[in-house]
Amino acid sequence: MSEPILDLHNLRKTFGALTATDDVSLTLHPGEIHALIGPNGAGKSTLIKLISGELRPDSGTIRFEGQAIDRLGPAARARLGLARSFQVSAVIPGFTVLENVMLAVQGASGASFRFLRPALRDRALTEPAQFHIAHVGMGTRAHMPAADLSHGERRRLEIAMALALRPRAFLLDEPMAGMGTEGARDLTAILSELRTEAPILLVEHDMDAVFALADRISVLVYGRIIATGTVAEIRASEAVRAAYLGDAA
Amino acid sequence: MMLLIEQALNGLQYGMMLFLMAAGLTLVFGVMGLINLAHGALYMVGAFACAAVAGATGSFWLGLAASLAAAAAAGAVVELLVIRRLYARDHLDQVLATFALILVFSEGTRWLFGSFPLYLTLPPLLSGAVTLPGGLQYPLFRLALIGLGAAIAFGLYLLITRTRLGTRIRAGEADREMVAALGVDIARLYTAVFALGAALAGLAGALVGTIQSVQVGMGEPVLILAFVVIVIGGIGSVKGALVGALLVGMTDTLGKAFLPGVLARLIDPSAANTIGSAIASVLIYVLMAGVLIVRPQGLYGERGMA
Amino acid sequence: MTREAALNAALFVALIGTALVAQALGEGFIITLATKAAIFALAGVGLNLVLGYGGLVSFGHAAFFGLGGYATGILASHAMSGVPVATLPFTLNGSTEMLAIWPLAIAASGLAALAIGALSLRTSGVYFIMVTLAFAQMIYYLAISWPAYGGEDGLSFYVRNTFPGLNTFDPIQFFAICAGLLAAALGLVAVLTRSRFGLALRAARQNESRVVAVGIRPYSIRLLAFMLSGMIVGLAGSLYADLNRFVSPAMLSWHMSGEIMVFVILGGVGRLFGPVAGALAYIALEHLLGGVSDYWQALLGLLLLAIVIYAPGGLIGLIAGRRHV
Repeated sequence: MSEPILDLHNLRKTFGALTATDDVSLTLHPGEIHALIGPNGAGKSTLIKLISGELRPDSGTIRFEGQAIDRLGPAARARLGLARSFQVSAVIPGFTVLENVMLAVQGASGASFRFLRPALRDRALTEPAQFHIAHVGMGTRAHMPAADLSHGERRRLEIAMALALRPRAFLLDEPMAGMGTEGARDLTAILSELRTEAPILLVEHDMDAVFALADRISVLVYGRIIATGTVAEIRASEAVRAAYLGDAA
Repeated sequence: MMLLIEQALNGLQYGMMLFLMAAGLTLVFGVMGLINLAHGALYMVGAFACAAVAGATGSFWLGLAASLAAAAAAGAVVELLVIRRLYARDHLDQVLATFALILVFSEGTRWLFGSFPLYLTLPPLLSGAVTLPGGLQYPLFRLALIGLGAAIAFGLYLLITRTRLGTRIRAGEADREMVAALGVDIARLYTAVFALGAALAGLAGALVGTIQSVQVGMGEPVLILAFVVIVIGGIGSVKGALVGALLVGMTDTLGKAFLPGVLARLIDPSAANTIGSAIASVLIYVLMAGVLIVRPQGLYGERGMA
Repeated sequence: MTREAALNAALFVALIGTALVAQALGEGFIITLATKAAIFALAGVGLNLVLGYGGLVSFGHAAFFGLGGYATGILASHAMSGVPVATLPFTLNGSTEMLAIWPLAIAASGLAALAIGALSLRTSGVYFIMVTLAFAQMIYYLAISWPAYGGEDGLSFYVRNTFPGLNTFDPIQFFAICAGLLAAALGLVAVLTRSRFGLALRAARQNESRVVAVGIRPYSIRLLAFMLSGMIVGLAGSLYADLNRFVSPAMLSWHMSGEIMVFVILGGVGRLFGPVAGALAYIALEHLLGGVSDYWQALLGLLLLAIVIYAPGGLIGLIAGRRHV
């Protein structure tokens, strides 16, 4: 197998008496979608926050493209190409779709300290932004304020922002949350295309989407990974059934 | 040595008065999430009520009771008419509205009482000095203030940890929706907390007014010091308010008393006096800056609040 | 938007027109009022950069207003006495040239804003309000306890500083300088807030964690905005000192911070011309209400309460409607 893009080694994080992340090791390889599933409170959000840099682990290391990133803050990790989309829909509500994606292009470019040219006339921002907006099928919505978008459109906007970061890896935190069946089908198609851009670590509750998209699945229960494997392996695993799928089925 | 003890007592007394101000502010912020610039106006209301009633009746004690009553009543009225509409607003609206309240209170008081300062006379029971062990003569009234401050701090501790109101206050700090879900009448709880904070501020105003003078605008410098106290102690924490208040009181008093003298040993005395008193006047802000560098959330603040 | 643009133009025309009409009628006092409004508007434009666009509620901008003023007063008084302001590390002589004074006033307030901002921006929300207020109070007490420049009594310098080619003693010519600088500051803020820098600043106000997630550190963006804001307010302070030919600790007081904030909020937060509307309204109110009652500030307070409770968008919001950003 190729070198992993993202390599978590023995990550541990406790909050008081609660061990939210218990010696988690996990890899993400080029071209794959690695899904992370588990019941509510299993520690999925904590793990994502550890990877994005919002939380610091008590022990363990994170390597990104071979480089240890434990000391970097979230902004620096994002600039390296670790693109995150949020559990709670995260766009700039007062900005238009275009401005939102421009902001992401600007973040990736690392050049925010430019003061004279209006950003909306800065083709180094607008052209890539328009391209990514078209990519997620939002071309007709470019000048609509993000606050006025439908839920599904906002998810697409987030994906466009993640694309604009020219990511080396995506961290997608429940992108299907709150979507109707049709929206979820649409987004599944977008995500399966997205993996050609960069591998995806996908946290998702929607099992149809997970089983349709994932190359590998890891099951997180009480902060521990109890199984990692292909879709078929996970479906067949007794331990997973007992701990998780059992009470859903 | 004698001077050091005397100044330390002064610092303690100053700190206790700052605590009375800061406790109300920090409670109101902790429970309702409101920043109240008009807290200094309530301090002034207490001082004027005390001066007016004590002047009319000749009784300092009646004046003191009036200060509590007037400030609590003013607090309750303001909460009902204005503050209540601000809980759901952002801090900017809260700042502007409570700034407007300062203007109304200050000018209203000037209209009622004029611009000249009023003076309070000490009650005979508390005037004069006592001789402390070691022979230090110290004003009895200031000692009484220290004792009263300590008693109120203890009372607040009991109120918050042992009473039903305290349980609700703590619950309100933790989770506002939860309190509402528990069926506590949130509106009345808020009015009560606000009036309690106002009463403490009014009491502080009356007591400090007895040492200094009672005049329009007396509240705001103290308000800003109370902010420094809260930033140092950590917002929402009554314990932080106490520790922060004593730190600020001590630092300010001891700095002003001794810094020029200490500097005079190092450099030319007249320059030392100027530089020393200038530095002493900003010492507490330096202290605050230090806390911000080391612990932006304050000594007893929760991380994430800052 | 066009409605707001028309309103903006009308506001600026009103300011200039008032001064010109007053000049024609020989009403020097009205010109002085218009000058004061222009200077207050300039201070408000500076504060609006952090308050309106950055969402940072600074209650300490009097510090920069006062420092700009004191820099001006100190330079002017040294120019008269002939004693250099400083001899180490280099000789700094006093000056009565506005063109020499402004850069120093701006630099002094900019440096203070950099230091205060660097510390204050470690906090947010209500802490930020209290910390900025406290640091401004610190500078206020420094000014009071430093006897060399008048202490509590302030510092007079009797003669207005000069500007090449203009007679600054003529009220309308001094007004022209102030209005010109106001226009320049408005232009600067308009450009800044539309630039990449402005995009990041406005985004951080609305959703800080999102800005971090695209790889931008809000702290450095905000710190620069805070410093620029302090510099603009410092320039306003320099002009205010020249208007009165006097500086005092009152320029540094919490009350001044509150007033600058009122100019911004009264007009409309985060709107380019909000501070112009706010300052004009404030000066008009001061003049009109002051004629009604000595206690006009109480009436002002009631009016502000009404605006906060019933018209949170400020005056421009009332006329031009609510909007995004």
